[in-house]
Amino acid sequence: MFNKLRIGKKVENIIFGTFVLLYIGWCVNSPDMNIESLKSVLTIGLSVGIIYGLVALGISLIYTGLDVVNFSHGEFFMIGAFAGLTMFNLLGNQDWIFNIFPDAYGWIIYVVCLFTAFVSMGLFGVFIERVFLRPLTKKGGGYTVAGMGIIICGFGLSVVLINVAYLIWNPVAKPFPAELGLPMEIGGLFLPITYIWMIVVGLSVAAGLWFFLNKTKMGLGIRAVAYSKDVSNLVGINVPLYISIIFGIACAIAGIGGTLVGPTYQVVVFMGYIILMKAFAAAVVGGFGNLPGAIVGGFTVGIFETASSFYISGSHKDLYAFLLMIVVLMIKPTGFFGVQVKMKA
Amino acid sequence: MLKIDQLISGYGSVQILNGANMKVEKQSIVALLGGNGTGKSTILRAASGLIRSWKGTIEFNGEQIQNLPAHEIVGKGLVQVTQGKDVFPAMSVTENLKLGGFILKSKQQLSDNLEKVYNYFPRLNERKDQLAATLSGGELQMLCIGRGLMSNPKMIMLDEPSAALAPQIVLDIFKNINRIRQDGLTVLVVEQNVRMALLLADYGYVIKDGVINVEGDSKKLMYDESVKESYLGGTKANV
Repeated sequence: MFNKLRIGKKVENIIFGTFVLLYIGWCVNSPDMNIESLKSVLTIGLSVGIIYGLVALGISLIYTGLDVVNFSHGEFFMIGAFAGLTMFNLLGNQDWIFNIFPDAYGWIIYVVCLFTAFVSMGLFGVFIERVFLRPLTKKGGGYTVAGMGIIICGFGLSVVLINVAYLIWNPVAKPFPAELGLPMEIGGLFLPITYIWMIVVGLSVAAGLWFFLNKTKMGLGIRAVAYSKDVSNLVGINVPLYISIIFGIACAIAGIGGTLVGPTYQVVVFMGYIILMKAFAAAVVGGFGNLPGAIVGGFTVGIFETASSFYISGSHKDLYAFLLMIVVLMIKPTGFFGVQVKMKA
Repeated sequence: MLKIDQLISGYGSVQILNGANMKVEKQSIVALLGGNGTGKSTILRAASGLIRSWKGTIEFNGEQIQNLPAHEIVGKGLVQVTQGKDVFPAMSVTENLKLGGFILKSKQQLSDNLEKVYNYFPRLNERKDQLAATLSGGELQMLCIGRGLMSNPKMIMLDEPSAALAPQIVLDIFKNINRIRQDGLTVLVVEQNVRMALLLADYGYVIKDGVINVEGDSKKLMYDESVKESYLGGTKANV
């Protein structure tokens, strides 16, 4: 009976395409529609989207590797932003850096901040995984069996991490005044340089992850562990170590995302939650567990959100990501890239 | 080479092995036979470290290896080859084989071993860039055995290499297992196909209800009435 209710892939795509066309038609009809606004929508959408994509990448990576959804991932993003900001405040008034690099002073400090966020969040992720999540798998069966406990633990961790951050950095929103230079003119549009940093660094991180997973030995091991823990054990991969590495990498990428967002917006203790939810939407749109899909989903959610708040209504900005997620779940539940390689029977 | 003494183990709280004893001599092929649910695969999983041994000892090359982490057991040269469906379907044949040699340090050794495996199974060489998901059942089993050979093991344990394969392919795979033994490896093969396994092996064990029921020279076991009995659950029939 259920087979009859299921619609084919072609029909799925046609219905989805119709929705996209309707949406584009709606936007084009809007009085604000012109080539200038379209350009800024695209750049803002892409720069926000890559941040969603980076966090979604981490969620997908943890989902494929550990078979659980990490609901505390937004907090790694937030603490990453604070780690970058702390480094920035440490280096920001050091004269000797300015004396050595008078021209490149601003961005050298920013790169150090990004690197700090990457490394510290990576180590912090490994620590969290080893100390809080790993003991839940003690009863055997690994992460697959402990799934529900880990999800609850993720929610708990989220609350705890927010409150720890609250104690350390207090709830006041803090500026991240990275001196990266004047806005750049691209195609007749003056873009804040931080947007370009977001897109360039974000895409490089994604490309770096792709290279790491597909071209290095450790990446091969990670892909093996993501597919099957038992078989990975049998070829001699240290599976517990690799699970920590997967978690660490996912958190490190979230940390970079936090530091990338910092200069454009502000750094505040509560920034993690909404990012987590939107990244979740991005992961679903791209196909849950699919890594390139996470980035594409991030871009889609980012552009959709920005375009909608420009052309439809700006006061419901946070609604659109979830609207898109619901539409995708209704029509195309696998997301854009949610295709699995099936075994030949 | 491998000596299992009074091994007790199981899954969760369910005890499967009730004190199994067996011994595998160097450079021999030993068959472990038994019906469904008698504990054949459990012995392999305990030996390769996938499940914990509750009691008893597993000795490999004179060292006790029970309850070591699985990847360390692979490092010692004891490799379990799973059934053909346990490959990485989204990776190419070469990548699957390279994963088999994951513990190797040098690239030279890796490519040497790759050459060796392609020499055993030329079919894999023809298909080396295909995704493993597109292989046939026989090719998958070859891939699994090849992957087991990649890490320079001293002994391999095969879990039902003939499962769900055509007789012609089974014959081919068993010939290759014999070749592997002649090249100096020790082989423990778990089988449901009693006749084929006993033709291949030097020595056989029959397991029933988690303990070794009958053991002996494979030529002798072939005509042993009690093997038929314990294997077929008491009903006498022609195997």
